[in-house]
Amino acid sequence: MSNIAALIVDDSSVMRKIVERALRQAGICLGEVFEASSGVEALKLLEQKRVDLILSDINMPAMDGLEFLRQLRTQNLAPDVPVVMITTESSEEHVRDAIAAGAQGYIRKPFTPDQVKDRILPLFGSA
Amino acid sequence: MAPVSRGPAQIDVLTRALDDAVEEVFHLMTGVHCLPVSQCPVEERAMISAVIGLAGAMSGTCALYSGEKVALRMSEILTGTSSPKLNDTVKDAVGEICNMIAGAWKGRLPALSSECMLSTPTIISGTNYQIHNQRLEFRLEQFYGFEDSSFTFTVVSESLE
Repeated sequence: MSNIAALIVDDSSVMRKIVERALRQAGICLGEVFEASSGVEALKLLEQKRVDLILSDINMPAMDGLEFLRQLRTQNLAPDVPVVMITTESSEEHVRDAIAAGAQGYIRKPFTPDQVKDRILPLFGSA
Repeated sequence: MAPVSRGPAQIDVLTRALDDAVEEVFHLMTGVHCLPVSQCPVEERAMISAVIGLAGAMSGTCALYSGEKVALRMSEILTGTSSPKLNDTVKDAVGEICNMIAGAWKGRLPALSSECMLSTPTIISGTNYQIHNQRLEFRLEQFYGFEDSSFTFTVVSESLE
């Protein structure tokens, strides 16, 4: 697996750093890491930058993570890039909504690096 | 969907769910255990508060109240970085801990899991203030300790249905 360029979308700068740290602790080879504090900022960034993985919170002001995901698909931005939601919302309904909106994975906060590894590595063909 | 009752047995369920949520968040995200304690020293009560709104099946707030030193330590064990004072990183960290506890708590309660929404955290800092909830009908207040620090977590609601 070559270095993965990742985009982390969360209104909390602390959580963005924690997610990046968890990805590294999970043994995921990260290349460039981009951050966005909102869905709107993330969409603008993706117009300019190419990434291999997107991790997004759901509960964010202005544009929540599900709407960001829908806009991503509608605008055909990063069409083949897997999106994994990282969120405090844990109900089956929320998971279904995320998958229906186009997410490839779902990680519930709080999480361990092992849980991150289990969700992310299979997306890149690694066990 | 059955409403969440306010009988003693249900209060106990809500309390245990909160205890489990706090321990899960601290243990998974910081490696540190955090368990209920009988009291919280006055100086550790309120210098910074993180408040999350609840809406839907339960209307009210979840709030984490902490003294300055405890907030600084919470931030340090969460982020791995120490801050000399209550800066934006510390406030963000306390807000995220409150957010994760609120989410983990409601996720343990079938009546609330998909029927109660959380707001993004609001952080209040300073001294000598109180948070007033109108039409308060239910209040759950617990003290929690980690290392040699303690903080308060409350759930208040105007209704339980």
